[in-house]
Amino acid sequence: MQTPSIITMQSLSKFYEMGDQTVRALDSINLDFRKNDYTAIMGPSGSGKSTLMNILGCLDTPTSGIYELNGQDVATMDDDELARIRNKEIGFVFQTFNLLPRLNCLRNVELPLIYAGVAPEEREERASKALINVGLGDRIKHKPAELSGGQIQRVAIARALINNPSIILADEPTGNLDTTTSHDIMNIFGKLSEAGNTIILITHEEDIAHYTRRMIRLRDGKIESDVRR
Amino acid sequence: MLLRETVTQAIYSLAVNKLRSLLTIMGVAVGVFSIIAVMTALDAIDKSIESGLTSLGANTFQIQKNPATTFGSGHSRNLYANRKDISYQQALLFRKSMEEKSRNIGFMISSMANQAKYANLKTNPDVTITGGDENFSASSGYTVLFGRNLAESDIRYARNAVVLGSEVASTLFPSGENPQNKSLKINGKVYTVAGVFEKKGAAFGQSQDNFVLIPITRYLDHINEKSSLSITVEALSRKNYPLAIDHAIGAMRLARGLTVKDANDFEIRTNESLIDSFREIQLAIGTGAFIISFMALLTAGVGIMNIMLVSVTERTREIGIRKSVGAPRRTILRQFLLEALFLSLVGGVIGTITGTTIGNVVALQLNLPLIFPWLWITVSMVVCSAIGMAFGLFPAWKAANLDPVEALRPK
Repeated sequence: MQTPSIITMQSLSKFYEMGDQTVRALDSINLDFRKNDYTAIMGPSGSGKSTLMNILGCLDTPTSGIYELNGQDVATMDDDELARIRNKEIGFVFQTFNLLPRLNCLRNVELPLIYAGVAPEEREERASKALINVGLGDRIKHKPAELSGGQIQRVAIARALINNPSIILADEPTGNLDTTTSHDIMNIFGKLSEAGNTIILITHEEDIAHYTRRMIRLRDGKIESDVRR
Repeated sequence: MLLRETVTQAIYSLAVNKLRSLLTIMGVAVGVFSIIAVMTALDAIDKSIESGLTSLGANTFQIQKNPATTFGSGHSRNLYANRKDISYQQALLFRKSMEEKSRNIGFMISSMANQAKYANLKTNPDVTITGGDENFSASSGYTVLFGRNLAESDIRYARNAVVLGSEVASTLFPSGENPQNKSLKINGKVYTVAGVFEKKGAAFGQSQDNFVLIPITRYLDHINEKSSLSITVEALSRKNYPLAIDHAIGAMRLARGLTVKDANDFEIRTNESLIDSFREIQLAIGTGAFIISFMALLTAGVGIMNIMLVSVTERTREIGIRKSVGAPRRTILRQFLLEALFLSLVGGVIGTITGTTIGNVVALQLNLPLIFPWLWITVSMVVCSAIGMAFGLFPAWKAANLDPVEALRPK
């Protein structure tokens, strides 16, 4: 029996006007992500993977086509509705970590819960738990600057997970890390996948992509290959 | 998002740039300070106006050549300057025709900056010589402490009698020696002390006891014959007061020889008219201070907008991160708006505290009562909030509408 789709994209396009030229960053792609998929999206720069990531993450909307996330039509939503979807359905992990440098780990991790309207006591409790789960129970009050790259990325993962999102979207999560740390981080993603999370990873590194179970290759805004293992 | 988090975030963000926030706050503080300080001082003066300006006795009014204060164009000033002095003869004529219809008609004339000497003691050269008659003390609210007041005969024969104000008396007779019948020199001329007035105290920081009273006839003979008298008149009763003023105007017109076509060339001063003319000054100063302060606050508002725009640019990434984890536009808007509001309100509070303090210090120097100008504090706070909101709105709107993809793009 097939698990239900979490994400459905049909003839989805994103065009940019660059002077008098139209850049087809995504050209009528069809994609489907099912619950517990562990996917790597690969492609050379300019292939459209960043655009796809922005649209998947509801940071941007497509020029045309259908994008359904958990049965909700995201393509036509306004900014505030998209913000709510990002808050509830999506956990981001970025290459540049994107933690707020002035806040300690706990405050960074609880940030999505603030916008979700969760009460302070519950926020702290859940954020502490999330940090313990990524092995940073002793770094709760530390600021990002006091942590190593791997630790910072684990804080970011804790933040991505805090609101139990439908998908975890990681954009080159190991791009700024050394090989050993990269593998630590990928092991965390592996465990998250085993625990039933849906993970989409954007990378250009083959060895990182090999941790996943599905590889999608993009080229010139089109899907070149989509292989499940 | 809860308001508490927004407030905490706003304060925290401002605390990170302490110097910058402080400088912006100072701009607002200066504007509010000037409003509050001026208004505190004016309110303090206002509070003492009733006691300070009611120098005339009850049911008493005064006739003088010029109004207490003149405002307006050169034309109206020239009008007053061309008026003829009120002479002693006119005053006597006036008294004659008013004797039945009022009482205690007193004449008075003053010159400032004189010096009195007794033995080897002398006053500062700031003593006022008042030429008056036997009714002066009653109509001006002085009582004789010891010795006697001027008598009708002193006036008639232009005697060299003098009644001392308490300050002059205590300077020249410091050891409590009885000054009565002692001879002293005022501006080199000899006078004999008839009595001493009781202390009246200061009004607007000005002593009312640093003066001497001599017969008006002597004053006109020896000090200045070409000066304009002021006449005080007491109505027979409170009810009679308006009528007495009407009679006085008629009598004065007659004494001045005015024809039907001529306008009055003298002014009636009542306690009310003195207060009114003071209020006119107060209003002018108050309006001026408010306009200037408002300009200062507008400038401060531009400063707030400037700093908030810098802040939005600096924190583009923070805004992107917040948006990526689900911050809606209104929350970002509220956060930046609150920061602007906080800057202006803290400035407002600082300005209010220093303004009230300095205003009250000035008031204390002038022996005026302490004041807490609630109205102006409220007005300042409202204006501050409005300015914080108005000038914070554009930067906040800019922040709220940042494109998250752009904001998160690595620089």
